[in-house]
Order: sequence, then structure tokens, then C-alpha cells
Amino acid sequence: MPTDLIPRVIDAAEWDLVARGVRQRVRVLEAFLADVYGPGRAFDDGVLPWSLVFTSEKFRREVAGITPPNGVRVQVAGLDLIRDEKGEFRVLEDNVRVPSGVSYVLENRSAMIGLFPALPRDNKIPHADEYPSRLLAALRAAAPPGVADPFVVVLTPGVHNAAYFEHTLLARLMGVELVEGRDLFCRGSRVYVHTTHGRRPVDVIYRRVDDDWLDPLHFRPDSLLGCPGLVNAARRGTVTIANGIGNGVADDKLIYTYMPDLIRYYLGEEPVLENVESYRLDDPDVLDWVLSDLGGLVLKPVDGAGGAGIAIGPKATAAELAALTTEVRANPRGWMAQRPIALSTSPVLAGEKLAPRPIDLRPFAVNDGADVWVLPGGLTRVALKEGELTVNSSQGGGSKDTGERGAWERGG
Amino acid sequence: MGWRLRIEHTTSVTYTGPVLTSFNEARMTPLTLPTQVTLESRVTAGPGVPVWTYNDYWGTYVSVFDVPEPHDELVIRAAATVETEPPRGIPAAAERVSWGQLGEKVTDGRLLEFLMPTALTAVTREISAAAIAATAGLSPDTAAEAISACVREHVTYVPGATGVRTSAQEAWDKGQGVCQDMAQLTLALMRTVGLPARYVSGYLHPRADAEPGTTAVGQSHAWVEYWAGSWVPLDPTSGAAVGERHVVVARGRDYADVPPLKGIYHGPAGGDMRVTVEVTRLA
Repeated sequence: MPTDLIPRVIDAAEWDLVARGVRQRVRVLEAFLADVYGPGRAFDDGVLPWSLVFTSEKFRREVAGITPPNGVRVQVAGLDLIRDEKGEFRVLEDNVRVPSGVSYVLENRSAMIGLFPALPRDNKIPHADEYPSRLLAALRAAAPPGVADPFVVVLTPGVHNAAYFEHTLLARLMGVELVEGRDLFCRGSRVYVHTTHGRRPVDVIYRRVDDDWLDPLHFRPDSLLGCPGLVNAARRGTVTIANGIGNGVADDKLIYTYMPDLIRYYLGEEPVLENVESYRLDDPDVLDWVLSDLGGLVLKPVDGAGGAGIAIGPKATAAELAALTTEVRANPRGWMAQRPIALSTSPVLAGEKLAPRPIDLRPFAVNDGADVWVLPGGLTRVALKEGELTVNSSQGGGSKDTGERGAWERGG
Repeated sequence: MGWRLRIEHTTSVTYTGPVLTSFNEARMTPLTLPTQVTLESRVTAGPGVPVWTYNDYWGTYVSVFDVPEPHDELVIRAAATVETEPPRGIPAAAERVSWGQLGEKVTDGRLLEFLMPTALTAVTREISAAAIAATAGLSPDTAAEAISACVREHVTYVPGATGVRTSAQEAWDKGQGVCQDMAQLTLALMRTVGLPARYVSGYLHPRADAEPGTTAVGQSHAWVEYWAGSWVPLDPTSGAAVGERHVVVARGRDYADVPPLKGIYHGPAGGDMRVTVEVTRLA
């Protein structure tokens, strides 16, 4: 993902609001996951219907009843925020499965500081270096009880994964082993890693492998990316898998529409950050209205990640809209609708000139069980191609260094 | 008077060559319920293989064991002593619900899980339309009976005609199957008419007139329970009332939620599994 040279600045007071909103969101996502895989209070109390969970492709009955040692399932969260027409930040998506992108924040910051060495000194630019140590602390805090010096590994699907660079970077910065599924094995409900010094028990696995591939005994039997026995080792309490298995039920885009209600229900607070106005298609009247106005809306697959499968009505051709209508009508549960929001823009270097391009903001949060820490600045993604509206790197987007102190703009 | 039953369930897996490691889960421990008490149970997987248990999402006792040493055979023995009850019949009318009440109750509650089709119980619109027509005007309880009878009439019991992955639709098309197929087809039809229904895996004593002290060759069995105010069991394969001869081990949406043995291993493909079930009426 290319880096744009012009940093983005967020006012300190506004950043404070973002950080509070992200912390609140992580707390409610944790409470929701504990409820889904535990007593199901919110459903029995009628806050949201059971049907949402039973129809969620990412609900994993296999982990029901597994309680994480320090109660944390969301060691790392990445939220997608955008500014609405009034300039207020709103939450577009929650990502609590295996959110990626933090390596760009670390690389952008160090690139900027390398290019402009005086900047941090003169402007108190925070280093992003704190992230790896915060993440490691959160992973260690999640270790099974009684483990004095937890052995942590990063589990990657391997070199062919798009985020492999990030996996290697995080492992290196945390000073822990980077492993693949074939390096791990289970014996007697304990997970071990083969090392050059023989086998070593593993206490915490920061996995960057999706649920489906983690354990062929419980999930895809053809997977070679995980390790058989992992889920039962976690159930036995001898190893912690971070982020938690089955977290995808919480960032399902229909569950997302209930987040404001869930914040009130679990936390007894008002949402710090609002959602983008969204429509659920389970109500036939809403479905009819959405289908009649498809050209004016954005349709998202509920279990999509990375911008995949999103249909932007105003940009779609008549044939695309017709195909979308058929698809949505056949599976209304698979989709949600949002009003298109004109993304706020930020100047980027386009050739020799500056030009405005749409941006979003992905703050990263790390939960160690005692505190939710938000990485200062986060990742700004930018649509680099003129006329492009999606900022995802898979759609040709780039990134910007993002500082929150107001220091970049007027200093120096 | 209920029965006291002793069950000896032996599963021998023979691989085509040495297997380096295997990871397994057995769902073979009978539940304790208002209608059944498990007095004693044990699952073993050979000398020196530790077995531990957990309760899964469906409330089933799961025995977990891995075999770390190279092996070319695996023998799992599940033994249990269970006290069962005679059939309870359908509860009093005051405790039953109408279709309308059923619909309301199910919409957003936990029961919905047992109303949604699964991969093994999805059937074509043609079949579901037939089931709906055949049960029009019947109460939920009589509709359930009618569906069970219809399945028994349509599907001939033929051991070996189908496999563990055969779906309800395939069993219907073939017109043949075993208890698993009949149970799944019954579930499929019950669900299409709006009755929440679940798959029951367990054991059946083959003889209704068994005297105490006699041992019989039994088998793993499957039947269903539907909900119409409370859960009521039906055995579509035998048509017999579910009672002292039936032992409940696990309940779920279909077979895939409750397989008696599930495992994965490093080793050559293929192999053979032999299962014997001995059921003794103790008292």
C-alpha cells in the first residue's frame, strides 16, 4: 500500500473523542461476545433477536463455553471511521476478527520521522513504537493462569498471505517467534512449537489465521494452516488463542446496526460515536424500499471484510443493479444497506500538485483486560485514484501518516 | 416401571497403515434428564490414553482424547448404566400450543435454531409443499404424528443404503435409508410446516418384551423430538413410543451436531470402522 507524503492531522480534542468512542466500542464488543458464547442475556431480554446469531456465518458453536483466562476476546480491534457531512466521526465498521493494517501505521510514522528528523523533536510527534509493547503486554496478560513467563507466538498462514509482512514485522518488534501451522503440534491438550532447541510449550497464540483454518478437527478438515487439537487445548485452558475464535459474529454488519442499543444495554452509556445510518433488510417493507432505491444506496455483504463485495449504487450500471436485486432478494440476511456518505477529503500529492482525495480512519485498540489502549493516530487510508470512493488497499488505496496532536500542521 | 439398561458400545477403527497421531471426540455418554438417569458411564480409548470431557453447545458430554503414539488400530469402549422411563405420551392439552402461539414463540427465541434448515435437512419446495398440504388442519401434535408416519411409509429401512453424509433430500429421493435418514427427513418436514424439531442420538433396546438379565445386540439409534409447548419424542423408524427402551445420548439440529465419533489423523487414507452395541436389561 503506497504512502502519501502529506500527513494528516486530527485535532487533539477531536482525537480524544475518537479514542473514547473506540474504547467504548471495544468494551461493548467484548460484552456482546461474552454474552453470545455465554448466557445470551441480551437476546432473552429482547434487545436483539436470536435469529441474527443463528443465521450468522461466523457464529462458532464450537467455542461456546470457552472462557478466556482474563475475559478478553478482542486483544486487537480495528474500527473504520469516517466523517459525515457535518464533519462528525461515525463508525462504519467494527473489525474484531484479525484486523490488519497496523504495520502501515508503524512504517508510515518511521518513514516520516526518517525524512523529517526534526519533526518529532520540535513538535512532540508521538512515536508509534508503543504498539508492539502494548500488544505483547496484552497477549501476555491473556496467558493461562499460573504461567509466570508466557511463551507467545505469532501464527501466520505463510508467505503467500497479503499481510505476511505485517506478521513478520509484529513478531520481530515484539521479539517473539513467527510460526506456521506446521510448526505447531498438540500433545495431551497442550500446544508445542518445534524450535531449533527442541519442542517448547506455547502459552499464547496471536493468530493471523482465520477461524475456518485453525483446527481441522473442528473446522475445515482439509486445512493445513492450523493445528489439530488447538480448540480443545484452548477449552482445556492450556493455551490462549487471540483474537478469540468466533469473534466474527460481533462484526457481522447486521449486529453492527444494533451497536448503539447494545452500548446502552451492556454499559448503560450513550454511544460516543454514532453509526452510519443503516438499514436492515429483514423487514419486507424496508427490503422493498431498498430494492426500489438501490441506485441511491450502498449495499454491503454482512460478513465481508476489506471492502469485498460492496456495491455502490450511484456508481453501478443498470445491469449490475439488476444482478444485485436478484442476489439481495434471494438472501436478504446476507446484506445491509447504508446511505452513501461523501467521504471527507484530504490533500494528497498527485504528481507534482496537491489534490483532494477521500479518506477514512482506522484506529487500532489493544485490550489487555485492565485497559483498552488506543494507538495514537491510527491508520488513514486514502483513495489514490481520482474518482475512486473505496479506500481499501485491496481496491488500490494508499495510506497516510496520521498524528493527533495538531502538531504537524502549524509547527516548525 | 422403567428399565435399568447396561450399554456396551465398542468402536474399532482399523487404519490401512500406521497412523502417527489422531485427535478424537466421542459423543457416547448418556445424558441425565427428567426422563432418564445415567448411573454410571465411562469412555476409554485404550491403555494409557487419557480421556477428558466437556459439555458442548448442545449440552452433550464430549470425551476428548488424542493418541500420540503410532498406531494402526483404535478401540473406543463406551459403557453406561442408565435408568429409563416408560413413554410419557403427549402432555395435557392445557400445556400444548396452537400454531399461532407456536409462531409467536419461535420467531425470535432460541427455538428458532431448531426450525431453520441445515445442510443435512434442507429439502426442495416440492416436498415441503406436500408436507404442508398433508398436515393442513391438523394440530401441531397430530401433524407431527402424520409426518412421522409419512416418512415411515415413504422410506424403506435398508441398512447400508445410505451413509453418514446422506441428506434428508437424498434419502427421500432414494426411498431407502436407516434411522439417521428417517430422523433427518422427519426433522426436515416438521420444520417446513413450522414445528421446531431436534435430532436425538442414542441407543435402542431391540425388544419390547426383554426380560431382566437378558442381553441383546442393540445399535446406535436416532429419533426426533419436536416442540409444541414442550418437547415430545417420536421414533419415525420404529413407530414405537419412545420410552424405557430408548437411551438419549445427544441432541442437536442434525447428525452433524452429534456424531458418536469424530476424529482427524495423520496417516494413510481409508480404513474400516466396526461398531458393536450390546444392550442388557438389568432390571
